[in-house]
Amino acid sequence: MPTITIDNQRVTVPEGTNVLEAAKKLGIVIPHFCYHEALGAVGACRLCAMTFLEGSDKGPKLKGVHMSCMVTARDGMVVSTLDEESADLRRHVIEWLMMNHPHDCPVCDEGGECQLQDMTVAGGHGIRRYRGLKKTYVNQDLGPFISHEMNRCIQCYRCVRTYQDYCGGTDFGVLGCNQRIYFGRFRDGTLQSPFSGNIVDACPTGVFTDRTYRFRARPWDLEEAPSVCPHCSLGCAVIPGARYRELQRVRAGVNAKTNGFFICDQGRFGYGHANRPDRPRSPRLGEREVSWPEALGALRRELEIIIAEHGSQAVAFLGSSRASLESNAQLLELARFFGSENFALEIDPERDRAARTTAALLGECARSQEEVRRSDFVLLVGADPLNEGPMMALAVRQAVRAGGSAALIDPRPVELPFAATHLPLSPQNLPEVLKALAEERFERFSARERTVLAGISARIKEAKRPVLIGGGNLLGSSGAQLLIEAARAFSRGDRACGAALLLAGPNSFGSALLAAQSPGPDRLLAQMQEGRIRALLCLESDPFADHPEPGRARMALSRLKLLAALDYLPTETARRCDIFLPTTAPAESAGTYVNFEGRMLPFGSVFDPGVPIQITGGGDHPPRSFEAHTPGSLPRPAWAALAALRGDSLSLAHIRRNLQRSDARFAGLAELEEGGEGRRVNGAGQMPGHGPELPKHPSAEGALRLVVTECLFGSETIASFSPVLDPVRPAPVVRLHVEDGVRLGIHDGEKVRLRTELGDLAVEVRLCEAMAPGIVVLPRLRQGEWEIFVPGVHRDCILQKEGG
Amino acid sequence: MTQVLFKNRRPGETVFLDGYRKTGGYEGLQKAVKAMSPDEVREAVKESGLRGRGGAGFPTGVKWTFFPADQFGEKYLVCNADEKEPGTYKDRELLLADPHQLVEGMIVSAYALRIPVGYIFIRYGYERCSQNLERAIAEACEAGFLGDNILGSEFSFELHVHRSAGRYICGEETALLNALEGLRANPRSKPPFPAVRGLFGMPTTVNNVETLANVQHIIVNGPEWFRGLAATETGAGTKLYGLSGHLERTPCLELPIGTTLREIVEEHGGGVWKGRTFKACLPGGASTPYLAAKHLDTPLDFEPIEKAGSRLGTGGVTVFDDTTCMVAATLNLNTFFARESCGWCTPCRDGLPFVSWLLEKIERGEGTMEDIEILRGQIRNIHGRSFCALATGAMEPVASLLDLFMDEVVDHIKRGRCPLKR
Repeated sequence: MPTITIDNQRVTVPEGTNVLEAAKKLGIVIPHFCYHEALGAVGACRLCAMTFLEGSDKGPKLKGVHMSCMVTARDGMVVSTLDEESADLRRHVIEWLMMNHPHDCPVCDEGGECQLQDMTVAGGHGIRRYRGLKKTYVNQDLGPFISHEMNRCIQCYRCVRTYQDYCGGTDFGVLGCNQRIYFGRFRDGTLQSPFSGNIVDACPTGVFTDRTYRFRARPWDLEEAPSVCPHCSLGCAVIPGARYRELQRVRAGVNAKTNGFFICDQGRFGYGHANRPDRPRSPRLGEREVSWPEALGALRRELEIIIAEHGSQAVAFLGSSRASLESNAQLLELARFFGSENFALEIDPERDRAARTTAALLGECARSQEEVRRSDFVLLVGADPLNEGPMMALAVRQAVRAGGSAALIDPRPVELPFAATHLPLSPQNLPEVLKALAEERFERFSARERTVLAGISARIKEAKRPVLIGGGNLLGSSGAQLLIEAARAFSRGDRACGAALLLAGPNSFGSALLAAQSPGPDRLLAQMQEGRIRALLCLESDPFADHPEPGRARMALSRLKLLAALDYLPTETARRCDIFLPTTAPAESAGTYVNFEGRMLPFGSVFDPGVPIQITGGGDHPPRSFEAHTPGSLPRPAWAALAALRGDSLSLAHIRRNLQRSDARFAGLAELEEGGEGRRVNGAGQMPGHGPELPKHPSAEGALRLVVTECLFGSETIASFSPVLDPVRPAPVVRLHVEDGVRLGIHDGEKVRLRTELGDLAVEVRLCEAMAPGIVVLPRLRQGEWEIFVPGVHRDCILQKEGG
Repeated sequence: MTQVLFKNRRPGETVFLDGYRKTGGYEGLQKAVKAMSPDEVREAVKESGLRGRGGAGFPTGVKWTFFPADQFGEKYLVCNADEKEPGTYKDRELLLADPHQLVEGMIVSAYALRIPVGYIFIRYGYERCSQNLERAIAEACEAGFLGDNILGSEFSFELHVHRSAGRYICGEETALLNALEGLRANPRSKPPFPAVRGLFGMPTTVNNVETLANVQHIIVNGPEWFRGLAATETGAGTKLYGLSGHLERTPCLELPIGTTLREIVEEHGGGVWKGRTFKACLPGGASTPYLAAKHLDTPLDFEPIEKAGSRLGTGGVTVFDDTTCMVAATLNLNTFFARESCGWCTPCRDGLPFVSWLLEKIERGEGTMEDIEILRGQIRNIHGRSFCALATGAMEPVASLLDLFMDEVVDHIKRGRCPLKR
């Protein structure tokens, strides 16, 4: 490790560190714009100049003024940041950058968190000498999320390096040349990349700002705290910001192990759920709003009556993957308190089994997003990362950019922000292909498939850091098991093959760990149907909407004597339950999610709940109505409400300490820092039984297999309750292989009738080539009659031409 | 006077394969492929003292020693025919007269460096040159000088013409490589140098038209002969000088390298036009410092011209007579560079417009003595501080304006108007 001297201070840094980073280690922050840890050094802005007094002991002698981001620290270097020559250059660079800047800080949203402001002060430029005309630009409409204000641009190229290079977007870039350089699109229009919001974070000044947050607050007035994104199982670091009791924006947090520096647009713009006017904020008995003590007392009394009449097993408890580890643990505590063994922590039986299988088997095979970014070969099986865990798609993209490669085995037409070989096998063949890969026996496949599979197998074997990534929705529990077994089969003494499974919710893994003794949601439902379970308490779970057999679920729920719910969303369950307890939204809560790799990620509460002043003040700005009490401030963290039901009042720290004391797998939980890198759980869950296998072939002539797939901005529960995302909801269309289209006489864009066991649907068809024949791919949408289809592989369906 | 590159040049005519072979064309290739090893060809070029004719003047043989010539596989030879330096048109004249000079030079160079594929990256406006090259390449293929197993040997080479979409920055070798790959013509950071990671990430050497066209002559006649062509002790070879500006005649001609500026101006250029006197010249294109009347006896060769405070550059000599306002002339040059900046780095993109603004202010008569200090600060922080050589080159005439013509600049400020404007 080289030791270098900067401003008379010595510092030792890892091999390959640039001098700018080395100086940062000493607390010397040299102004810079184009350099960004995730985007690398390009030497364009010429601001991070330092004077090199002594070259290195080895290698070429480097003397004079150089850009510190472009120079790798070498042993023996002596560098000055205070030298007049480099200070003079930095002053000039800032002066040049400010030549055309409009100085519109008072009306700029970036004000207060503007790197240009900071660097201008740090760079020492104060007095304007240029008195010529400033360049001005026409701005573009970049869609509902991003505001464009090109006049403020200082041409650091960070936006285009983020959008194109890191995120793989193609509809935005740099145009023109010399001083007329323009960062935008060929013409106005919504940015197409689902990672577009990152240019807001990357832009050092106010060219790209969050349009949904525009003119709402100054950054220094925001309440902010490090948090964890609640929208998928990846557990990316986010920093939500609230003002006037309103969650106003989310920006990316930094966690080297998970997201790195960036997040997806669902994580960034899916925040509106917390501010909804129809959000339930009061405890309720039936339709009547009551106080907490009254609601808690009534709920406990009702449960005790049912237990007295029908026994402890007549009350059941349903947790969820979007509730925190602590809340789910408190739900189990409550079940134990009432002596009931009937609980489940996920309503969808296959998702429950897939998560529990993953938690039971993944072990040392687990790979983080960071490890995927450093992988040299990634195989995706039944995984659609852009829709099931968007940042995973970017993690694989970074692996491919660094010289690795990727392949995909999936029946669906999967879009990816990187090049990958796609083998579209039918869904019932996915488990088979995993077995075949592990055993290297491909004779059951066609000649073309054999060639691709042999190539994939060879790549996994020669790769140094291979990772297999599966999607829980399509693979199910048996597929998850086979994927992990395949990874083990490909591991050798000198190097291991990793595995990752994209799960349903932010705490799927954590809930699965806790669910070891659960009889599973199927048994719960059956007992409800049989009338043996009389009461169900739902923790941030919506059994009306999320069960794959909605008819059966509705029937079972209707037989209950008592349905109680805790939630922060106006779900159907929350609306229809007998007793309702309002809980805090993720940004208002503290808790822990255990992400897809088993990493415990604690998060802190950003702000206290309350009806946004925007709503109570009728839109006044600034707010003019003031009261002593906060309307709508009743929601409590779910773990606190559940503990209170037992008559206990516990702090979160207490709950965490209890958890790690009683369960060694959560060792270290209580000591973890919010906003830190988190820590993998120490130990596995318990293996559940597998679900019923799908029949190999369709039941009827002409029947197609129905595959319901998650889609970004449309499927995920919390995001679906966020109006901010309304402008980008996915279109309700189903996709069909061209061959099937020809066979059935269905044209691209044609409206047809989809007939399934669950019900019929009028759908528009898109014909695709890059998918498996014999299936219909339907998006999971939470709107109207589409809502009955939940993600996974379903039985058969029939497409019928209208009037046919 | 020995004519090497221009020996087949006739007014209004282009010499193709037959004419080229009549005067010894493709003998260099035959000799190289049949009688010499690639190492020997490289050694001969190194010994000849040939220096790059594109502006930087780096010794070609030395540049080639950085190239992994002995490594087999994907490698590229790129000819930089994107001749855009103001006042420079020598490569055009060569390609209009005798395109096989370049084609043969490239084949011999590719043989020396064991390169299978070459590209000629040519300026958009040089359409006739492009067509000449395409015909020459077709003829060479037909004759077995290009393609697979050249002259029955193991050596194969294919050559393509690529018309540049056109910008000054494309003449910068790494920006050229980006443009050739279909990317924005921004320069790349060095290291890695193109010899290590060039076109499509593979080892690449980029040489100028005139440089490559000299190679086969060195092979035929030997390095000694080549060095003997020069008019100076330190020089080697001939040089194509392109004259322009306030002269009676403005030809492009091939002279021994190191011919004095006086000879070029007075003899070949017929003296300064309209009976006026010589005030200054750009000896090698717009990014070289001015030479003044006191430098007239400087031999126009790399070393002597550097001693005089300028650079040989491309050999495009632009002469200014005594009625020229040097502030206005410099402003004109700087406006060109500011417009041609690719916009990648700050000193070039924003610094050059700042300099233009200052020069304009002084030329208008609104400058102050403080502006000269500000201008010095601009030069100090642009020259050598930009990402590539464009802005550094742009500062050469500006810096020499202050060195050689300070009185004239101060005169603008004191009189509050341009002293030369009638």
